[in-house]
Amino acid sequence: MSLVGALAGGFVGTVVLTTGLRLAQELGLTRMDIPLLLGTIFSQDRSRAKLIGYALHFFNGLIFSLLYAGVFFAVGQAGWLFGAVLGLVHAAFAGGALVNVLLPALHPHMGTPWSDARESPILEPAGFMLRNYGRYTALATTVAHLAYGAIVGGFAAGL
Amino acid sequence: MRIDGYAPIEEYAAIGDGRTAALVARDGAIDWLCIPDMDSSAVFAALLDARRGGSFTLAPVSEFESERRYRDGSNILETTFTTSAGRVKIVDGMTLAGTDRLAPLREVVRIVEALEGTVPLRWRIEPRLDYARRPSKLERRGDRLLAQLGGKALAISAWGLPGWREEDDAVGGELDLAPGETATFSLAAADGEPVVLPGRRDSEQRVEQTDAFWREWSGKASYDGPWRDAVLRSALMLKLLVFAPTGAIAAAPTASLPEEIGGVRNWDYRFSWLRDSSFLLDAFASLGIEDEGHAFFWWFMHASRLTRPRLQVLYSLDGGAATDEHELDHFEGYRSSRPVRVGNAAGEQVQLDVYGAVLDAIWTHVRNHGDLGGDTGRSVAKIADYVTEHWRDTDSGIWEVRNDPTHFAQSKAMCWVALDRAIRLADAGIIPDRSEQWRASADEIRRFIDERCWDDERHSYVRATDLRELDAGLLTLPIMDFDGGPRLALTVDAVRRELADGPLVHRYRGDDGVEGGEGAFLTCSFWLADALARTGRVPEAIELMDELAGFANDVGLYAEELDPETGAFLGNFPQGLVHLALVNAAVSIAAAERAR
Repeated sequence: MSLVGALAGGFVGTVVLTTGLRLAQELGLTRMDIPLLLGTIFSQDRSRAKLIGYALHFFNGLIFSLLYAGVFFAVGQAGWLFGAVLGLVHAAFAGGALVNVLLPALHPHMGTPWSDARESPILEPAGFMLRNYGRYTALATTVAHLAYGAIVGGFAAGL
Repeated sequence: MRIDGYAPIEEYAAIGDGRTAALVARDGAIDWLCIPDMDSSAVFAALLDARRGGSFTLAPVSEFESERRYRDGSNILETTFTTSAGRVKIVDGMTLAGTDRLAPLREVVRIVEALEGTVPLRWRIEPRLDYARRPSKLERRGDRLLAQLGGKALAISAWGLPGWREEDDAVGGELDLAPGETATFSLAAADGEPVVLPGRRDSEQRVEQTDAFWREWSGKASYDGPWRDAVLRSALMLKLLVFAPTGAIAAAPTASLPEEIGGVRNWDYRFSWLRDSSFLLDAFASLGIEDEGHAFFWWFMHASRLTRPRLQVLYSLDGGAATDEHELDHFEGYRSSRPVRVGNAAGEQVQLDVYGAVLDAIWTHVRNHGDLGGDTGRSVAKIADYVTEHWRDTDSGIWEVRNDPTHFAQSKAMCWVALDRAIRLADAGIIPDRSEQWRASADEIRRFIDERCWDDERHSYVRATDLRELDAGLLTLPIMDFDGGPRLALTVDAVRRELADGPLVHRYRGDDGVEGGEGAFLTCSFWLADALARTGRVPEAIELMDELAGFANDVGLYAEELDPETGAFLGNFPQGLVHLALVNAAVSIAAAERAR
C-alpha cells in the first residue's frame, strides 16, 4: 500500500471520472457539470468559472484519494475492488448530500428549497441523487465514481 | 392570417443571439427555435408542423391588428397589438450574456407592456425538444417549469401573471394588464449543464443591454449611400446569422421552408456555404465592418483545412465537414410541404464555382488586411493548382442541381476568377508565384467559355455546354469581374429578357433534377441590379433597386424566393445571400453613380 500510489490514482481516477462525465454530457445522458457548479462559486464569468472549476475538481480528486488512502490504511487493505466499493459510497454521498445539500449551502448562485432567483440568477438545484440533471445522472455519476475508486484502490495497492 | 395553422413566411421576423435564432410571427407566436445552436434540433418547430412542432403563442384574446418594428439599429423586435379594448406591446429578444453576471446559456425574453386600456391576452408554451421526436414533459422546479430531454433543457419563468394552467407537456394562461403594467417571460435553455434560472430584473436588464450591444454594433457601419435603411437592416440580419463561436455565417436559420407550397424542394440552410464568402467579405468591407469579415475568412480557412486543396461546398457552423441529410418523417412540413429535410446532401456535390468565390474572398481579405502568412499562402497556391487540374471536370453548378453533372458556364467562369485572383495574389507577393501556368489555364478556360458556352442566336452565354438556355447565375460574371468584354452586357440583357418577370428573376427555366417548380430567386434580382450598374446601366439599376426594396416584409427582411403571382415569400427565411446581394448591389450602384 502506498500513499503516493493513492495520490497518483487520485489524479488518474479524476481524469477518468471527468472524461467519463463529459462523455455522458455529450451523449445527452446528463446535464451534470461539476466544473461549472464548482467554478461559479468564485466567478460568474462562464469561461473563468470553468477554468477554476476544473482546477478545483482535480484538487478535490487528490484530496478524496487521500481520504480513500486513510481508509485503506485503517483497515489494512487496498485493491481495485475495495476501491470500487468506496467509489460507490462516494457516489451515493455526492448525489445524496455533497452536491444536493452541502454545495447549495455554500454556493452563492445555486438554488435551494429555501431560496429563489428573484434578485440574482441561480443554478438549477441538483435534487436528490442529482436527478434534476437528467434521469441517467445517478447512473453516470455512479459508474464514474466506481471507476475512480477502483483506480485509486488499484494504484494504492500496486505501488 | 394563418392557413391550416401556418403563418405566411413573410409574417415572420427573426431574433437571435449570434448562436441561435427564433422566428416570431406577426400574431405573436414563436414558431421556430433551435437550441442550443442554430443547427441543433428544434424546441419550437410549429413552422414545420403546426400541430406537433411546438410553439410559444402570445396574442390578444379578441380580434386584433398588429404592427411590428425592430428597434432602431437593433435586432430587438417590438410587436404592438391593437384591439377595441386598447393596445399592448410585446418586446422580443434573445439576450446576450455579459461576463459579469451568471446568465442562461441561451435565453428568449418576452416582455409584455400594456399601453392603452386593458387587453386580455392568452398565452401557451408547448416545448417539443428534439424536433418533437419524443415527448417533452414539464416538471416543476419551485415556481418555474422545466422541460428536459437528453442533455437539453428549457426552463420557463414568468413574472407578472395572475397564474397559469399546467398540462403534461404544455403550460398556458391569460393575463390582463392595466396601462403601465408589464409581464415578463423568460425561456432559459441549457445543454449538458444545469439551467441558469434568471431573476426578472436580470432578464429585463439583459434585453436592454442586448439592445445597446446591437445599436453599438450597427453604429460601426459606415455606409451612407442610397437605400441606407435596407442596407443597415441587412447588415443587422447578416450579423444575426453569424455563428459567434466560429465566425461562420449560416445561409438561413431555418430548415425545409418550401420553395413551392406543397412541393418537395425543402432544404436545410443551417450551414455555411463557402460560396457566400466573397459576397460576405465584400459586403462587410463595404460597410466598414471588419471583425466579422475577418472572422469568417479565418473560419473558412480552418474549416477547409482537412479537405484542401479540394474545397467542400458547405460546412457545418462549427467547421465540420459532415452535412448528412435525413428526413423528419413525423413532421407534415410547412403547409404539407414534404419531405422535411435536415442536413444537406449538397455538401457531397462538386461545385467548381466555389474556388472562384474563395480565391476572390482571399484577395478581398488581403486588400483589407495585408499578408496571409507563409503556410496559408502556400495552401492558397495549391488551391489554384487544383483548379488548373480540375476545371475541365463536370460539376453540379452554383444551383446545386440534382441531375447529372455537366459543364456549367458559371462554374467555368468562376474557375477563371480563381486563377485571376491567384495571379493577382502572386503578383502582390502574397502567395508562391506559379502565375505562368495559372495564366495559361485561365486563357484556356476563357476560350472554352467563349467557344462552347456562347450562343450566337441568343447573343448570350448559356447555362452549360449542353444546356442552351439562360442561367441567372451568369449575372455573377460582371460582379466577379470576369473578362467577358461586351458579351457581359449582352448576357445581362438576355437574362433579363428570358428569366425576369418585371423585377423578379428566375434562376433558370430548365430541369434541375428535382420535381416541382419554384418562385423567383430574390438574390438574382439584386444581382441583376448589381450587374446593370456594373455594365453602365445605372438608371435601370436604380429603378430596379427601388422596386426590390418594396418586396421586403414589414421589418425589412427577405426570404430566398418570392411567388411572382401572389408576392408571398417562399423558401428559407431570412436568407443571408439575398441580404448580401442587396448590400453589394446598393454599394455597386452608389459607386457607379459616383463614377458617372
